[in-house]
Amino acid sequence: MKASYLGAMGYSQRHQFPTNWPIPPAYHDPETSVRSYQEGMDECEFAEELGFDWVSFSEHHYSGRIATGTPAVMAAAVAERCKRVKIAMLGQLLPLNNPIRCAEELGLLDNLTNGRLIIGFLRGTPNEDQTYGVNPAEGRGRLFEGMDLILKALTEPQPFSWEGRYHQYRTVAVWPPPVQQPLPPVIVATRSDDTVRYAAEHRLGLGVSFVPAERMAAITRKYFQWCEEAGWQPEPDQVVFRGSIYLAETDKQAEDWLAARTGSGPAPGGIAMSPGVSRAVDAAREIEGSSLRAGVAGSPQGDVVGVAGRLNFMGSPDTVVKQIKQFRDEAGAGVVDLFFQQPGVEHREVMREIDLFGREVLPRIREF
Amino acid sequence: MAGTPVRYWAAGAGDLVVILDNGGWGASQLQEALAGGYRVVRLELAELTTAVAGGEPSNTQQVADLTALAVAGLTGEKYTLIGVADSAAVALWQALRAPDSVDALVLISPSIVLPTGEAHQGVHDAEAVSRLGDVACATLVVFGLNDRTVAPEAASVYKESIQNCNISFVYDAARDIMADRPEALIGAVADFVERRETFIVGRGSGLINP
Repeated sequence: MKASYLGAMGYSQRHQFPTNWPIPPAYHDPETSVRSYQEGMDECEFAEELGFDWVSFSEHHYSGRIATGTPAVMAAAVAERCKRVKIAMLGQLLPLNNPIRCAEELGLLDNLTNGRLIIGFLRGTPNEDQTYGVNPAEGRGRLFEGMDLILKALTEPQPFSWEGRYHQYRTVAVWPPPVQQPLPPVIVATRSDDTVRYAAEHRLGLGVSFVPAERMAAITRKYFQWCEEAGWQPEPDQVVFRGSIYLAETDKQAEDWLAARTGSGPAPGGIAMSPGVSRAVDAAREIEGSSLRAGVAGSPQGDVVGVAGRLNFMGSPDTVVKQIKQFRDEAGAGVVDLFFQQPGVEHREVMREIDLFGREVLPRIREF
Repeated sequence: MAGTPVRYWAAGAGDLVVILDNGGWGASQLQEALAGGYRVVRLELAELTTAVAGGEPSNTQQVADLTALAVAGLTGEKYTLIGVADSAAVALWQALRAPDSVDALVLISPSIVLPTGEAHQGVHDAEAVSRLGDVACATLVVFGLNDRTVAPEAASVYKESIQNCNISFVYDAARDIMADRPEALIGAVADFVERRETFIVGRGSGLINP
């Protein structure tokens, strides 16, 4: 298996944030913020040094917890520091963005990194529809059209026009096209059947985030079946699991840390919205046939969306190796993309975890 | 072939648009949509093709000569010519053989050339492929993104060969674009008919609160 470090670039004082989204800019201190990004890039560099295969970036808005609203900017900065790892854009939120702009950023990144780019397509967590005022009921339609348009924009050799449902462009000619031909590896991050099927039918990879192994296995079973029906078989690198992690020397230390977190802030990795907004988003998404509730864990402050309220990997190296192996054995994951910056875990602690992972976990998961 | 009867329907008023109708793809809908701003003549190709063929494989160039003659018999003015699927080959030859009359050309889901640059196996008209570069008028080539009969990658060949050519992909549409995304096809074609190659210049307003 391969390992990826999620460059979340969290604001170091994120433990002081309120639980609800969005985080008010009033919490921003310039000096702390600058230091946080430097520390985040140090973490990416250290992960590369310790043997991680990918460094990933994810578009999230209005939150200092994953503070990369413009992931291409962050990826470009880190790519100048890290000269070996793959730069994984996992990914841009297609319903929110101009797909042509996304394609241009991806093309440029693949050139800047001399062909080290991995592309990820994401719909985004429900709170993020509000960032640019996108109707949550249109998210799925925008995602599908965005994927088709980006794939076309990155592969079509001649200028063209596009007559879409949500996008109309009369001149598209992305420059520079990617270095990797015909396309860099593409991962579609989803849990929805129709999007999983899209990935299989288009011979694209699959990414699943923040679910237990058995739930990912239920998703990848369908994916593998649909890939077979489409006449191909994905490589291990094309099945990615993104999970949250807390790694300690011993299981006891990890449990003590989690116990100290209980009741002192949001669940690890959680994104909370006010209950009223959460209900409105849920209602809008229900219109298009998906239930937000399946991906939601409740909290007194509101609904925590996008992740379960617990860590995917937690414990000593031995324990975490077993947990990761479960994703390999049961769900066919070939890459784990790991979110280390848990609430209350400071930079020095993250560096310690990266070091421990590189020494005690990575060599063992490579054997899977 | 002079004297061959040609069935046609005319509607609307304004600059002339000619649609070559080989049946089965919603030509009447397109005619109706364009007739709001243009005089639209829809020529039925089936009987004409049969008459030309006389039991032999039809000669596309001869059919094109007849359609050009038929339009000339209706009016002497220049026109925009639209061909769809198999009739696109006739439209292409008409543009090549009557360049003074065909002012703009629209090829929808054309089955003339493959993405490899070879002639489409259903048409076998290598000469038409070799003459693409001689098309002098503004041209729009439209493909449904999900066309499985002729891969939309073929659009690049037209763009590379025809000097003044725009290619357009209609999202979420297969070969019969009029059935899948009529509003998108009509919008693109109508805009091109009106503005030719300048249809790429945006006109929609982004103003929310004036």
